[in-house]
Amino acid sequence: MKLKTTLLLILVAATIGAACVASPPALPSGIVRDPPPDVSDVSLPDAANADRAFTTRAGSGALLLVYFGYTSCPDVCPTTLADLRRAVQRLGDDAGRIDVAMITVDPDRDDAQRLTAYVQSFFDGAHALRTDDAGQLLAAADAFGASYEVSQSEDGDVDVAHSAFLYAVDADGLIRLQWPFGVTSDDLYNDLVRLIEERT
Amino acid sequence: MTSVKRTIAVAIALAVVIGGCSGTATVTIDDAWARTSASTQNAGAAYMTIVGGDTADRLVAVSVASAVARTAELHETTMGSGDTDGMMMMQEVPVLEIPAGERVSLEPGGYHVMLMMLAEPLVTGAAFDVTLTFEQAGEIVVPVEVREG
Repeated sequence: MKLKTTLLLILVAATIGAACVASPPALPSGIVRDPPPDVSDVSLPDAANADRAFTTRAGSGALLLVYFGYTSCPDVCPTTLADLRRAVQRLGDDAGRIDVAMITVDPDRDDAQRLTAYVQSFFDGAHALRTDDAGQLLAAADAFGASYEVSQSEDGDVDVAHSAFLYAVDADGLIRLQWPFGVTSDDLYNDLVRLIEERT
Repeated sequence: MTSVKRTIAVAIALAVVIGGCSGTATVTIDDAWARTSASTQNAGAAYMTIVGGDTADRLVAVSVASAVARTAELHETTMGSGDTDGMMMMQEVPVLEIPAGERVSLEPGGYHVMLMMLAEPLVTGAAFDVTLTFEQAGEIVVPVEVREG
């Protein structure tokens, strides 16, 4: 009898636990910055669109997801972009309200074609933002709070360090959320659903 | 406990102990995969879990055929400090310790086999071999499956 009671209690606890996990989280997984940084002044050539200036601001009712990275990045960048792709695919019809832009921090090696093919292998129609003007890139990174460092080691290898955040920008050019490397695809999905609901 | 039950329990325990001793297990590799690469991407990464054998071992080299990439190195993604505080970067790992019986994961954001100058894009569904060289176990050829990831 005692054993049965214990089992019953475990079952009840497990059910409650499962219910908690299943309900939508009360808070976003991403980081909310207060006040939200304004990146509506950031404008960079879009290599995917004949180098026409692209301003980091979403269309009306949409979200722009911005990532600072580089194409020779084998681990961190493709992990985040692939997890984002999975999250966006799960949005179904709302996926059309997500726009993606990748800004290369390694423009010496990432030419227009390389960057465009890279980011568009994850997202059709994504923007490939690239500038040879080091000052312009630095100003863009500063506006987002992103950082990077490209250095050449003695053996000639190029080493790139970069803050690996993904940023969600709204139609006002404000950063609504940002996610560090390691955020799961599920957490990204839940946060995107929330952000899209807020925009409608 | 009845004596029959005890006998059975002892027999099982003995079987486990003897089973564990028969032959010395070396390292094994689980779930090796690499992410699909973009057409113009020159670097890739392969991931896997290395399961330690009965004795500790060390992974001392990784390689791939030139038909896959020009070079392969074991790398670790780390969080920078000082000038690179808050930034993620990679560094080469000359030796990876594989403690006896432990699972060492090569996974996104941690250790990975970095493939430099890919000979051709890694296409979903394709496969290639990575050769791992261990101090004790010697060379182990690991089939790596390419996935969208």
